[in-house]
Amino acid sequence: MPTLPDGSIHVEHVWKRFRADKTVPLFYDQLHRLGRSIADPDRRNYRWVLKDVSFDLEPGGSLALIGINGSGKTTLLKILSQVTYQTAGTSQVKGRIGALLSVTSGLHPDLTGRENVFLYGAVLGMSRERIRQQFDDIVEFADLQDAIDRQVKFFSLGMQMRLGFSIAAYLEPDVLLVDEVLSVGDANFQQKCLQRIGEIVRSGTTLLYVSHDLASVEASCEQAVWLSDAVLRAKGPTKEVVTMYRTAVEQNSALLTAKEGVVQLLKAEIRAVDGGQLRSECEVEVSLTLKAPERANASFFIGISQGTAFPMFVIDHQGIMPAGEFEIHCKLGYLPLPKGHYSLWTAITGYPKGKRDPYLPWQPVISFDAFGPDRMEPPEGVMALSPVYVGATWKVS
Amino acid sequence: MTGPESPFESGSAGLQVTDLTAIPTDPPDDIWYHHKVRFVASIKLLWDHREIMYTLAERDFRAQYKQATLGVLWAVLSPVATLAILVVVFSRVRAFPTQGVPFALYAFVGILCWSYFASSLGTGGNSLLVNKALLAKTQFPRECFPLETMLVNALNTVLSFIPLALLFVIFGRAPRIATVWVPMFMLIEVVFAAGVTLAVSSLIIQMRDLVQVLPIIISLGIFVTPVIWPFTIIPTHYHLFGGTEVHGHWIGGFAVNLQVIYGFFNPLGPVIAGVRQTMLLGGNPSWAPLCAAVVGACAYLAFGYRVFKRFEVNFADIA
Repeated sequence: MPTLPDGSIHVEHVWKRFRADKTVPLFYDQLHRLGRSIADPDRRNYRWVLKDVSFDLEPGGSLALIGINGSGKTTLLKILSQVTYQTAGTSQVKGRIGALLSVTSGLHPDLTGRENVFLYGAVLGMSRERIRQQFDDIVEFADLQDAIDRQVKFFSLGMQMRLGFSIAAYLEPDVLLVDEVLSVGDANFQQKCLQRIGEIVRSGTTLLYVSHDLASVEASCEQAVWLSDAVLRAKGPTKEVVTMYRTAVEQNSALLTAKEGVVQLLKAEIRAVDGGQLRSECEVEVSLTLKAPERANASFFIGISQGTAFPMFVIDHQGIMPAGEFEIHCKLGYLPLPKGHYSLWTAITGYPKGKRDPYLPWQPVISFDAFGPDRMEPPEGVMALSPVYVGATWKVS
Repeated sequence: MTGPESPFESGSAGLQVTDLTAIPTDPPDDIWYHHKVRFVASIKLLWDHREIMYTLAERDFRAQYKQATLGVLWAVLSPVATLAILVVVFSRVRAFPTQGVPFALYAFVGILCWSYFASSLGTGGNSLLVNKALLAKTQFPRECFPLETMLVNALNTVLSFIPLALLFVIFGRAPRIATVWVPMFMLIEVVFAAGVTLAVSSLIIQMRDLVQVLPIIISLGIFVTPVIWPFTIIPTHYHLFGGTEVHGHWIGGFAVNLQVIYGFFNPLGPVIAGVRQTMLLGGNPSWAPLCAAVVGACAYLAFGYRVFKRFEVNFADIA
């Protein structure tokens, strides 16, 4: 084995499998497997969740694991933190590991916040002495000075999460493994956590970070690994990997109009009015060709998102939807987008909005690239999803 | 395995895209992971994490009495209640000769020893299941969970010595000098209980049926163990064959000491007998069964720890 310095991560050809059907009792399953393995050694009832994953991380580096749900990210973190073991391959993490796989699972509901600080701190690997020294800092970071002597079961979920994360924030390990733990908690606290993670990384701690929030991934990690369907698809600088991941995710979900309504979408297009490239600040026109079964009062919606989660802006228009094939032309006087890859969303609902199903459900319909200057990096942390107001002129014919 | 000089070659390069067709369907035979159990290393690791064990024990002990008006007082009150029942029930019953010792005292000593074992096994056996949220998210040695519950039970047992002292006062007796042996007997019991608890907890997480079976086994165990019957009814010379009877005694032939054999398989027998002999009667314990108990308890621990470590790999996946 190569001797690595403290704080480095070495993963080489790691494989991991689980039992295929967890509802079958283990003992029964094992009896069966034994029987099968005698009859036919190749047909064992397993499911691979990691296949041949290799990467390295230097001390002080920061690496993000990205991928859709069930792609093996958490399993990989668990292997690295030795919560579970790989089926094949080598994984090495040198130095003290701080694994933040779940912020609330170490808390005991019947104990007070104070008792839980000591409990969870110990569980995460801090000595009692260290916790005593850091106690006031932890409570202050969590902003729980008033509630600390209350039983944790009377805390809100957000308070529990704040307490859990604050304890972990004072771990000072050589390697910090963070799994999607910031999904609850208000925006302020999330920002505080990301800042704290940034501080920890700057102090020389190695960071391995799992998140679905690509903006925070880009803000806090230099490198990224993309896992998809148990396989490591790509690794390298965060920007390039994230771009690749985005493109792939969009290709999947942008083979579009997965949700059918009574109105059919025949064609969707976005182009610059002057006929050139889609550039920042240029005038653009969105054209949609649709087919409706009947004439109706309707609201038309158009939105643009980066990635496929939430639109950056939405505009709408009320008018009469003609029966049969019709077109919508919407002119945006100003494209408020930096360089990047975007999705166009659309929907048509009845007007006034009743309890009826929408004529065309809200969904991304095409994706496109915009050219222009790079997005400005915010000075700290994150939140690329800034709502934007856009003026537009509509024509439905 | 890459050489020591270049472990980071791939990490610092630019974007690398995996060739999906190059990934085999199964890992090559030479890289399969084999869980190596090094006993010395894992015991050292356990020692390094002893603080976690204390903290978890503190958690359980505190949580046990949270929101109860009388709080930790219950730790003393509940054995006193058990005792009161015992005194009432057994003050009239005399099931077997107790060599002048009040039956309640005689029985309580047995129950004290038994209940430590029973509660350790009962809560320790389920400890991995109860703590599965922690088990699947944190990485300290897994032995901490069953051993931590044994610590809590030890504390509860120590508190039960308060009613025992009360009982001595009630009957106007004092523990004999030979009581100094009692900690040694307790140590044998702890070793035995640790072995069984480790093995059972690691099996229970794989076969949940045992959750139901365990209480049944424990409640049967009290009859197999000399709790309410004297250990001395087990013969020391059990004649298998040969020999002749002279004045009611067998001479010659092949005889075995059943107490020794029993002591090996159930170290609790000699332990309870020893505690009674020293604390209540002030005599020397019979050493042969005790030695068997020591060997037996160590064997249980070695076996239990081996089983636990063997199954440890799966805990987080099946919890």
